[in-house]
Amino acid sequence: MRALLLLALLPFCNAVAHEMTPTYPTFMKSFMAGISVTTLNLFNKRKDVSYYEIGVFTDEWEPVPFVSQYTIIPMKYLDTLSFDVYVSNLSLSSVEYICSVSQIQAGATVSSKICSRVK
Amino acid sequence: MKNLLIAVALLASSTSVLATDTPIVGNVQTRCLITTDTNGVFGNPLPSKLSTASADGGVVPVVRYDVTLADAYLAKITTPTAFSSSPTLTDSVTWTGSTAVSKTSDAGMSGYEAAKVTYGSTTQFDLTIAGSTWFSSESTAVYGVAKSFVGGSYTAIVLAECIAK
Repeated sequence: MRALLLLALLPFCNAVAHEMTPTYPTFMKSFMAGISVTTLNLFNKRKDVSYYEIGVFTDEWEPVPFVSQYTIIPMKYLDTLSFDVYVSNLSLSSVEYICSVSQIQAGATVSSKICSRVK
Repeated sequence: MKNLLIAVALLASSTSVLATDTPIVGNVQTRCLITTDTNGVFGNPLPSKLSTASADGGVVPVVRYDVTLADAYLAKITTPTAFSSSPTLTDSVTWTGSTAVSKTSDAGMSGYEAAKVTYGSTTQFDLTIAGSTWFSSESTAVYGVAKSFVGGSYTAIVLAECIAK
């Protein structure tokens, strides 16, 4: 009886998660003059998500131009991925947040967004 | 004979070093993990109403936040203000929603609910204590003035954000 109850509850308990580290990334000089770089790690434990979008923002949530290997990152379930974010030194002082947002597929009802802060 | 004994002694010592040197390394860093504990389901208690409230036959979506450092993150949860997919609707939909703390891993988090800040459809919580917090978000959509929703499948998205402070 308990097993039946557990089976009935399982579809509502499919825990899925999204994680990005570090919380406080720091930019360093890159191999290109005038460009700084930082590295972040993304972990996809969401079966219902295959893509994450990366964004860089000011403290007023205005977008800041950046370059990365990906803007939309394709990620399989349980994938961990490191990615670099390159920003011009001219706009480095305005960078406040680096965010990853799950790209929702049909059927998902929760979108997750994690933002690291550049201090 | 002497050389043989030395060789055996060396072998034995090298074996023991190999046997004891099995490091397990790890790195703990500040992090925020957003977990969808329960996906929401709309109930349809009236022809003009879709609701995730259990009293209306729905399932309230539950999102869990795990933070490993106190006072490092804000949790922002936004209830839907539109359907992400639905049949074609010709009239307006009125949305209401609310988010509340449903469970915590630490008794000290009991103040989160009283300290929450709500603006528009977004509710913000200051995660001042390390640990896990579960948030549930109720949403209701009412179609036109008591108009019946068109038959079909409806999906709406709750946005769960974890913003470093």
